[in-house]
Amino acid sequence: MYQQLSNLSDRELISRARKLKDREAEGVLLERYSHLMVAVCLPYLKKNPGTGAQTVFPQLLQRLSNGLKVQSIQKANEWVHQTIKTYFAQPEKQVPYYPSRESRDRLHTENRVEKAANNTIEKQALIAQVKTAIAKLGNDDRYLMEQFYLENKTFADLAAQKGTTVDKIRNQLKKAKSRLATQLTN
Amino acid sequence: MPNNIHNENEKLLKIFAGIRCLNKDQLPRYLEGRLTDVEKHLVEQHLVDCDLCAEALLALQQEGLMEQYPSLSTGIQQYIRDSIKPVSQVHKMEHYARKVKQRESMLIYFWLAAFILGGGALLFGISQYSGHKPAAARTAVQVVSASVASPAPAPAVVPADSTQLQSSHKPATLAATNPATPAPVIPAVKKDTVKAAPAVKKPVVDSAAKKPPVAAPKPPDSSKKVADKPKENTAVAAKPTAKDTPAAQIVKSKEKENDKKDDNDNKPKTGANTAPATSGKVDTDEYLYKAAMVYQQHGDLDEAISRYKHLSGTSNSRVSEMARYQMAVCYRSKGQMGKAKRMFKEVVRMDGTMKQAAQQALDNM
Repeated sequence: MYQQLSNLSDRELISRARKLKDREAEGVLLERYSHLMVAVCLPYLKKNPGTGAQTVFPQLLQRLSNGLKVQSIQKANEWVHQTIKTYFAQPEKQVPYYPSRESRDRLHTENRVEKAANNTIEKQALIAQVKTAIAKLGNDDRYLMEQFYLENKTFADLAAQKGTTVDKIRNQLKKAKSRLATQLTN
Repeated sequence: MPNNIHNENEKLLKIFAGIRCLNKDQLPRYLEGRLTDVEKHLVEQHLVDCDLCAEALLALQQEGLMEQYPSLSTGIQQYIRDSIKPVSQVHKMEHYARKVKQRESMLIYFWLAAFILGGGALLFGISQYSGHKPAAARTAVQVVSASVASPAPAPAVVPADSTQLQSSHKPATLAATNPATPAPVIPAVKKDTVKAAPAVKKPVVDSAAKKPPVAAPKPPDSSKKVADKPKENTAVAAKPTAKDTPAAQIVKSKEKENDKKDDNDNKPKTGANTAPATSGKVDTDEYLYKAAMVYQQHGDLDEAISRYKHLSGTSNSRVSEMARYQMAVCYRSKGQMGKAKRMFKEVVRMDGTMKQAAQQALDNM
């Protein structure tokens, strides 16, 4: 059963956990992101030596478990990230997860691409739209997008070319992608 | 060239391809640079819009944190499994118990429904049985009333004769209850009536054929007595009702007298209970008349007419008159108006109790 559940997507696991009250599905979902949670929490734990991992992680997991039952979750990774952030920012307050406008646009475009995978006409139409949207981007953003997605350059390569850090390149690509998604959605 | 364009187009769509977060294995390998180019590119594509993975990678790149990561990661996974597993087991047990309960309740509902259905079927069967039984009894009563008492349509047809019919109820009922008396009209069902009718006819037919009287099943007293007397002329007795010649009437009256004597001789001690021979003859005629009426009621007009014809020649003027009247009614029902008129006129000429009714019928025709 555990093996079968681990093959399911995040959306299916969330659905099972919410509708069927399947605790195993919930466990599989939380376990899928547990190592990332640990990695993200490590700097906070290091900064606050008084808070032990034995108290932080159970509380965090409980908060995630509660949120899973009541919140509408489109992307599990964003939900986990936001929950961790709000936990360390406001430990006493439970802030509900709400996806940002950019996140919703990205999700919408991703769904469109997924839907058009088996429909050639729709696929061609979408490709034409993406081309038009890329053409509307700024020169720097367009160059980065083309180099990263079409030329398969790595963050490190692009950072070396531009003379900046990998993180900056990632952020620039993220913004360019968000603009693209917004253009395609609207 | 077209292939390159096609690949480029496909690559454009991969900008928005949904890629999963880095798993436990990929995370350290990416940091250590132990991923293949394709895998690395996929991870970086995902990293573009996944803040969680990007932040996790940044955190693990910090000094001193990578050492804590494996132990904490294993610990949290174990914690999740430990906390989820018993709850999951309890949940499963609850689910199973609920299922069993549901099955049991369904079983209870099934048996309840089966019991209700069975009870309903039983009640239905009982009601059907009880409804059927009285119906049979009712038909038996109807038989008696139809054959012995005045039938339903009779008052309409023979309004003037209702009192006479009423008066004939008693002997008829007695005859029906008394096993010794002939029972030619007891069965009310057509089949039985038809069966009974020949039994009534038989004395006449039998005597005409000079058959031994044993063959006649329980004939009326008079015919029985006639059959018992070998010295008497059966040929003369055979003619009786159909052609009422004066000689035959004389013979008949003689027979009646003999019958009376025989009755007195044979049943001297039970005389109180038995009817006199003359009244027996009258009864026979009335029975025959009523049997004919039964045929008429069942719609067998031809048979009824033939019986009424026989009765119209009988010595009993009242029965004869009624038979003619009913014959006229039968003819009218059949649409033979000429014959019906003739019969009604005959009844009027007879100047009996049915005169008024016959006259009225004639006027209405």
